[in-house]
Amino acid sequence: MFNKVLIPISSEYYGKHVLKRGEFLANQFNSKIDLLYIIEEKTLNQTDKISDIYRTPLEKEETKKEIIRKQKLAADNIVFNDAEFIFKHIPFEKKIVEGEFTRVVKSELKKKTYDLIMMGFEKECLLNYRLLDDIDIPVWIVAKSERQSILAVCSNLAPNKKVPEISLKLSEALGWKLHMIYVVDTEDSVHVDENGIRSDKKPENVLLYFGQEFTYEMKKKKINVDVIKGSLEKETLKAAEKIKPKLVILGREQKKKGPLGIPIKNLKKKLAEKCEYSILFVN
Amino acid sequence: MNSNKNFLYNRLKTRKNRDIFFIILAFLILAIFYLAPNPENLTHEGQVMIGILIMAAILWITEPIPLAVTGLLIMIMQPILHVLTPSQVFSSFGNQAVFFLIGAFIIAAAIEKHGLHRRIALRFLSQFDENPRMFILGIMVSCAFLSFVMPEHGVAALFLPIVVSILIAMKVVPKQSNFGKISMLAVAYGCSIGSLGTLIGGARNPLTVGILSEELGITVTFIDWMIYSMPIVMISLPLVWIVLQFSFPIELKDITRAKIEIKNQVIKAGKISGKEMLVLSILALTVFMWVFFSHSVYFGLAVIAIFGAFLLFLTGCINWKDVENRVPWGIILLYGGAITLGIGIQQTGAGEWIANQLFQSAGINIYIVIIAMIVLTVLLTNIMSNIGAVALLLPIGIAVAPELNVSPLFISMLIALSGGLAFMLVISTPGNAITYSSGYFSTRDLFKAGVLANIICIVIVFTVAVVYWIGVLGLHNI
Repeated sequence: MFNKVLIPISSEYYGKHVLKRGEFLANQFNSKIDLLYIIEEKTLNQTDKISDIYRTPLEKEETKKEIIRKQKLAADNIVFNDAEFIFKHIPFEKKIVEGEFTRVVKSELKKKTYDLIMMGFEKECLLNYRLLDDIDIPVWIVAKSERQSILAVCSNLAPNKKVPEISLKLSEALGWKLHMIYVVDTEDSVHVDENGIRSDKKPENVLLYFGQEFTYEMKKKKINVDVIKGSLEKETLKAAEKIKPKLVILGREQKKKGPLGIPIKNLKKKLAEKCEYSILFVN
Repeated sequence: MNSNKNFLYNRLKTRKNRDIFFIILAFLILAIFYLAPNPENLTHEGQVMIGILIMAAILWITEPIPLAVTGLLIMIMQPILHVLTPSQVFSSFGNQAVFFLIGAFIIAAAIEKHGLHRRIALRFLSQFDENPRMFILGIMVSCAFLSFVMPEHGVAALFLPIVVSILIAMKVVPKQSNFGKISMLAVAYGCSIGSLGTLIGGARNPLTVGILSEELGITVTFIDWMIYSMPIVMISLPLVWIVLQFSFPIELKDITRAKIEIKNQVIKAGKISGKEMLVLSILALTVFMWVFFSHSVYFGLAVIAIFGAFLLFLTGCINWKDVENRVPWGIILLYGGAITLGIGIQQTGAGEWIANQLFQSAGINIYIVIIAMIVLTVLLTNIMSNIGAVALLLPIGIAVAPELNVSPLFISMLIALSGGLAFMLVISTPGNAITYSSGYFSTRDLFKAGVLANIICIVIVFTVAVVYWIGVLGLHNI
């Protein structure tokens, strides 16, 4: 299922728990892991810009080189050292790259084929996590929760094909209990079809009907689904708080639009910021 | 014609919309102040000067153009808008504080070139390696001490690799260890606090001295500055050290690895070279002369600084290439803009008018004004360049002083010293940005510790101003 996993670690944030979860997953699915340490260019540029008038180009260059040298040292001595220990029996490659987080990850995806990106998430940093919206493969954001269950979120705003499929497979492979909800988003009352195309606005009862239909389909696969009305992000967070899952699985709901028809930006980033549990974005 | 249009279009396209917006806004406000009828008690020139002040504030806070270019713009707008003549504007550039800055930058360049600062830093740090708490204090004291003799940003850049090496040797994980956070924050705050201590630490200090001497004929010597500022430094350092430990309780007990790493770095640095010895001697001589002779009419701060720089050239410790590489000329231009802004505000009566308006609405209570000045400066210095914040507030502060029956020197020192307390944001000062780049603390950590440190330092500055400056030194009457 996840033959090749990319774990990008930014110099802005490193969490050992990401490596541990990577090891767990690799053991379950015989995955190969590529570990990518990214020296964040935004941090370097910011330091440069703020020092602009106070320091000469030579001094700024010296400081930049020193920062990069120390970041590499930190990657070698702390991150890769942990990886050597955690991935003792797992094949993995490591690499240090300078650049902007999303751009570097996207360029890696062009070079090699990956089935999953697994990463940590830090709210208080310079990263904007554009990649959550920009890439087409699943992204697993690892949090430190310990429970053994999965919350799969389907809705009227997503095709709902990959989420049931992946959550079922994961639940079986990992032995984690599966909870599934179908959110009828009352703030954006459209229906997204299997190809990801949005319909015109629909009345609530029609959307609920689609929800019931989905529930019926899932029942055939022996999955119970709770149909919930409300805002997608709020209901997802509420359900996560109630179930306290190890992993929340979400689909392509990034297409959500606001009251004036303007797409809501960074929905996934906002969810990742607010959710205390690991999230797998099935893109 | 078409290609010209395309060229202009392409140039504008490379600018961010945000930058264009703020440039237009700044000029629009200036135009309004130029064209609008002036109120009673304020001359047209004074009104235009207030427009230039607001334009400078917008451009210095939002930075759509480099800070130094805003400095140049302030200088040229005054003659263009008929506020002051070119000779009036540019003559203030010959102020001795400018040449003091140049001399001090050349001396700092020599220190950096020969790595003397690194040797001093390591020597200091090796005295504080008993336990993690003392180690943090050691970082703060070392940074503060070095910021007495060279610009604070250079000190932060020096300490970044030293402290990160130690943290990596200790396997301290970035952002997860409180010891890692507090170590890097100690660098940032140690440099900022130390920069208050002497005229060299931050360019805002000579700017204040320059404006006081140019506008009011008040002379502040090297030792005078230290007499006013050192109590704040000496009280702030231990208290901010406590604040840091309170904000991020240290989880480590053993720092043997740090000790070993410092020892390794000391060994790596080797014995002090002849050139380093020479730079150290010239630095010591210059500081000695600043302390004992800067009040003399024939010496003064600038003559001594340039003399020290001359000795460095004479002994081959530094050459012109080093000066080109290591002296930030942009700050001199920013200084020029700032000092002409102050003079323009004072000479046109704009400062007096602003002060009258403030007191009409707020009333006069000296203690409230003191605290308001400190808080306003601290807030402003956290969101913009600290020299810019001081440059904007000094002319207003100097105009406010007579209304309060206090000396302009008193208010100027309040603003200058509060202007160095940029603790809260990464953008507040290069020292914060440099230490943030280590990855050891988050923006939230900086804000959390910075708010507390700023509150403590506001109380310290206020107390020192009221008890020591007014009560002991009688500074308010000078």
